[in-house]
Amino acid sequence: MNNTAIQTDNLVKTIPQAGRDLQILRGVSLSIDSGESVAITGTSGSGKSTLLGLLAGLDLPTSGAVQLFGQHLDGLDEDQRATMRLGKVGFVFQSFHLLENLTALENVMLPLELSTALPPHPGLPPQGGKEQIAREVLQQVGLGERLSHFPNQLSGGEQQRVALARAFVTRPQILFADEPTGNLDRTTGHEIIDLLFALQEKFHTTLVLVTHDDTLAARCQKHYRLEEGMLA
Amino acid sequence: MKLLLHHWLQRWRMPEMRLLLLALTVSVTVVTAVGFFTSRVENAMQAQARQLLGGDLVLSSARPLDDAYLQRGQQLGLETAQTISFPSMAASGDKLQLSQLKAVSSAYPLRGELKTAAAPDAPEQASTGQLPARGEIWAEARLFAELGVKAGEQVQLGRSTFKLARVLTQEPDRSSNLFQLAPVVLMNLDDLPATELLSPASRARFNQLFAGEEKLVKQLQQELELKLKPTERIRTLEEDLSSVQQTLQRSGRFLGLATLLSVVLAGAAVVLTSSSLMRRELPAVAVLKAMGMSRRQVLRDHAFSLLLTALLAALAGVALGFVLQFGLAEWLSQFVGKDLPAPSSAPALSGLLTAIILLLGFALPQLLRLVNTSPMQILQGTLQRPRQSVWLVVACLLLAVFGLLWLQSRDLQLAGMLFAGLLAGIGLFWLLAKAFLRLTQVVGRKLHSRWIPSLGRSRRAVLLVVVFATGLFSLLLLTTVRTDLLNRWQETLPPDAPDNFLINIQPAEVKPLEAFLAGHGVKTHLYPMVRGRLVEINGQPVQPEDYENQRAQRLLEREFNLSSFAEFPSSNALLEGKWFKQGETGFSIEKGIGETLSFGMGDKLTFDIAGQRLSDTVTSVREVRWDSMQPNFFVIAAPGSLGDMPSTHITSIHLGEKKAIVTDMIRQFPSVTVIDVAAIVAQVRSLVEQASMAVQGIFVFTLIAGVVVLIAALQSQKAERRREIAILKSLGAGRAELRRRIWGEFLLLGALAGVLAGLLALTAGNLFGYYLFDLDMKLDLMPLLVGGVVGSLLVGVAGFWNLRGLLNVLPMSLLKA
Ligand SMILES: Nc1ncnc2c1ncn2[C@@H]1O[C@H](COP(=O)(O)OP(=O)(O)O)[C@@H](O)[C@H]1O
Ligand SMILES: [Mg+2]
Repeated sequence: MNNTAIQTDNLVKTIPQAGRDLQILRGVSLSIDSGESVAITGTSGSGKSTLLGLLAGLDLPTSGAVQLFGQHLDGLDEDQRATMRLGKVGFVFQSFHLLENLTALENVMLPLELSTALPPHPGLPPQGGKEQIAREVLQQVGLGERLSHFPNQLSGGEQQRVALARAFVTRPQILFADEPTGNLDRTTGHEIIDLLFALQEKFHTTLVLVTHDDTLAARCQKHYRLEEGMLA
Repeated sequence: MKLLLHHWLQRWRMPEMRLLLLALTVSVTVVTAVGFFTSRVENAMQAQARQLLGGDLVLSSARPLDDAYLQRGQQLGLETAQTISFPSMAASGDKLQLSQLKAVSSAYPLRGELKTAAAPDAPEQASTGQLPARGEIWAEARLFAELGVKAGEQVQLGRSTFKLARVLTQEPDRSSNLFQLAPVVLMNLDDLPATELLSPASRARFNQLFAGEEKLVKQLQQELELKLKPTERIRTLEEDLSSVQQTLQRSGRFLGLATLLSVVLAGAAVVLTSSSLMRRELPAVAVLKAMGMSRRQVLRDHAFSLLLTALLAALAGVALGFVLQFGLAEWLSQFVGKDLPAPSSAPALSGLLTAIILLLGFALPQLLRLVNTSPMQILQGTLQRPRQSVWLVVACLLLAVFGLLWLQSRDLQLAGMLFAGLLAGIGLFWLLAKAFLRLTQVVGRKLHSRWIPSLGRSRRAVLLVVVFATGLFSLLLLTTVRTDLLNRWQETLPPDAPDNFLINIQPAEVKPLEAFLAGHGVKTHLYPMVRGRLVEINGQPVQPEDYENQRAQRLLEREFNLSSFAEFPSSNALLEGKWFKQGETGFSIEKGIGETLSFGMGDKLTFDIAGQRLSDTVTSVREVRWDSMQPNFFVIAAPGSLGDMPSTHITSIHLGEKKAIVTDMIRQFPSVTVIDVAAIVAQVRSLVEQASMAVQGIFVFTLIAGVVVLIAALQSQKAERRREIAILKSLGAGRAELRRRIWGEFLLLGALAGVLAGLLALTAGNLFGYYLFDLDMKLDLMPLLVGGVVGSLLVGVAGFWNLRGLLNVLPMSLLKA
C-alpha cells in the first residue's frame, strides 16, 4: 500500500500575543507516504513539536490544510480528530509521559482499553486477551520481568521502552515520536532508536520522528529540516 | 462500565483519592448521625403526640369549665372525661417532693392507654379501664425514689393521705415530658375536694375530654367554638401535632446547622484534594487525548470515578452516622427518654445528597478543566493548567455552599442569612489569620530569625491557619460558653439569694405562714397574685390574632400574673413614670411586655380576672431582673386595687441550712407548694450540660474535618516540598536538621492557629455573656493556652506524619527530568 499517509499544504501557525503575533510555522507543505520513515530536524524552538502536533491533529493550523489518512482535518472538532487517532496513531515523547499511578503493564494496556469502543479494524488486535497482547509487547521491548513496576521504579531508558510498547501495542498506522532520546544518555538512546526502527519495520508503521540529531535523521528514508518555521 | 470501574480502582493508588473519600465521609457521617438522631426523636414525639390528647377533642382552660359542655357532649352520644392537673407537694415521713397532680374522672383516658407496674422495677402492664381507686394514687417511679417509699405505703397530698398503689409508667396526655420536672401523680377526681388543694387561684389546668364518631366530634367542635370564653381553648390532634413538630423541627434544624461547619470544612478539603488530583491527572489526560480519547470519554471516566467515590463515602458515612447516633441518643437520654423508635431513612438520603453536592460544587470545576486540557500541551515542555474562568469556580462553590445550607435548614431565608454570615465569618477569619501571620513575621524579624518570616509569607500558611482555627474555634467557644456561663451565672447570685419559691398560698394562710417563717428566723415578703387576661387596650378589645408576633399571641391567649403592693420591688429598676404614692391608682408594667404588646405610659389597660374587670392607666415602666430569684410580675396594680378578687400569695425565701423546716411547713400549710430552685437549677444545668456536650460532639467533627483539610493542604504542596527538601539536602542539610525544620514549622503554625482560635473564642464568649446574660467581661487565658497546645500538637503531628516519607528523598531526584 503505497498511498499517502499525511499531506500538508502551506501550514501556518501563529500564536496571538500582546503586541505582535508570534509566527511559529510559516507555510509548511510536505507529504509522507504510508510505511515511510521521515525525520524532522531543526534547532530548539524551530517549531518541530508544533508541526508534529498539527500533523497528528492535536491542534489545528491557523491556515493551510492537513490530510491524515486521506481525510481533511479542518472542520473536525477536537473529539472527531481524537476518534481518528484512536488505535491508529501512536506517540512517543521526550519525557515519556507514562501514567504514574499505573504499572508498566497497565500503561501498555491503556490504548487497547481506549479503543474497545470502536468497531474492530485491521490494525487492531482481536478483542479479549488485551493483557496477553500487552505482555507480549513488553517482552518484545525487553521488560517481561518488570510488568508490575510503577514508572517511578523504572530508569529513564526502561520508561521509554514502556512508552514504545504502549505506542506499538495497537499496531498503529502512524507513529509520532518527539525527540524520543532527548532525555536519555547516548548508549540508551541508541538502544531505544534500534528498538523503534525494529518495531516500525515489523509492523510496517509510518514513522514521523522529530529529532535534532542528524545521525539519527540519516537512518530515515526522508529528511525535512525546519528553519525559522519553514522547510529548508 | 467494567473499564470505568477498573480506572476508578487504579486511582486509589493516589493518596488524594483517599483524602477525598475521607473528607466526604466525614461530612456525610456528621450529617447523617444528627439526621438519624433527630428523626428518631421526631418519630417518638409523633407517636406520642398521636395519643397526647387522651381524647379526640379536648377543651382546656385555666379556669373550671362549665358542666354544660360535658352534658352537650353526652347528648351527642360522645364519651366524656375530665382531668384537673396542677403542681402540688407530696409528703411521706419527713421527705417532700414537688409533683404534678392529676385528678381524673372515671372514663379517663378516652384515647390511648395507661400503663402501670406493681413496683418501680416490676414489668409494665396495660391497665385496661382501671384507675386509682378512692383513697389510692398511682405515681411515676421518680416519686417512689425521691420519697423513699415502696408500693402500698402512705403519701400525703394536702389534707388527705393516700395509699401509693402502683407505679405509673405511661399516660397518654402527659403534657410535655420533654421538660417535665415533677413526677406525675394520678388520683381519682372524687378524692380531690377533700385534699383542699384546689382554690380558685391555683395554677391548675382543667380539661374536658371528648371522643366518638368523627362527624359528631366535628359538630361539637363547631358548637363549642361559638360558645367558648376567651380563656377556654379547643385542642385537637392536628393542632397539637403540628406545634410539637414545629418545636422539634426547629431544634433538629439547630443541630443540623451545627453540623454545617464540618461540612463546609470538608468542602474545603474537597477543593484542595480535587485540585491536586487534577494536577496529577493533567498529563495523563493529555496523553490519553493524544492517543485518541475524546472529551466525552474523559468526562465520563472522571465523573464516574467521582460519583462512585461519593457513593462510597455516602455508604460509609451513613453506616458510621447510624452507629454514632446511638451515642448521641445515649448522651441525650435524659432529654428524650431511653426508648426511641427507629429512625426514618430520609437522613441517609440527605447524607448522599451532601456528598454529591460537595463533589459537584467543589470538584466539578476542576473536572471541567481536565476535560478541556489540550493534548498539544504534552508536546510542549511545561504543562500549564488549562485556563478556566475563576467565576465559574467561585459560582459553583458558592452555589454548593448555599445548597448545603438550604438542605440543612430547609428554609430559604434562613439559608440566605447563614450564607451571608458564613461568608463574613470566613472573611473575618482570613483577615485575622493574615494579620496574625504578618505579626509573627515582624516578631520573627525582630528575633533575627530568617525562618519564621518566610513561614508567614506563603498563602498556604494562611489557608492552614484559617481552616484549623475554624475547627478549633467552634470547639473552644462551646467549652468556654458551657462551663463559664453556667458557673458565672451562679456566682452572680448572692449567697443569701432565695433558694425556694412558695406558691399557692391561700389568703387565709398568709398571716399564719408569715408568723411561722418569722418564728424560724426566715425573712419573707408575701405577694398577692391574681391571674388575669388582657382584654382591652384604651377601650379597644385585643385579640391574639391582632398580633403577628408569636410571643404576643401566646401572652394574650394565656393569663398572666398580676400583683399589687406598696413597696417598689428592690430587684427592679424604674425606667419611666413614678411608683405609686399613697392613695394613687394605676398599673406599673414590665418594659418587655409593653414592647411586645405595644402599650406604654398613659395607656389604659383592662384585665379580665375570673370574670371581673380591672381597668387602669399605666403610670410606670419597670425593668425586671428575671434571674434575681425574687417573684416578679409583668403588671403590678396600685395597692388595694385587687379588692376581693380570688388570689393566692407567692414568695421566695432563703432557707439554706434551715431546709428541715419545710416538712413542718407543709404539715401546717398543706396546699402550699414549695419549689426547690437549687434542685431545679441543678436539673436544668445537667440538661444544658448534656445538650452542649452533644453539640460539642458535633464540633469534634468540625475539628476532624479541619485535620482532613490540613492533610489535604499538606498533600497538595508535597511536590513542592519534595523539591525543597532535595535542594536543602544537596546544599548539605542533614536529616536531623530537616526534621527539626518540619517539626518547627508545623508546631508554630498549629500554635498560631490555636491561639487565634482561642482568642476569638474568648472574645465571642465574652460578648455572648455580656450581651445575652449580663455578665461582666472576664479575661481567661485558658482557651488561648488550650488552643495553642492542642493546635500545635495536632498540626505538628499531622504535618510531620504527612511529610516523614520525604526525608528519604534523594537529592539525585533533582537531576531527573
Ligand atoms: N502555546 C504557545 N504559546 C506561546 N508560544 C509557543 C506556544 N507553543 C509554542 N510556542 C513557541 O513556538 C516556538 C516553537 O516551539 P516548539 O514547536 O515547541 O519548538 P521545538 O519543538 O522545535 O523546540 C517556541 O519558541 C515556543 O516558545
Ligand atoms: Mg520540541
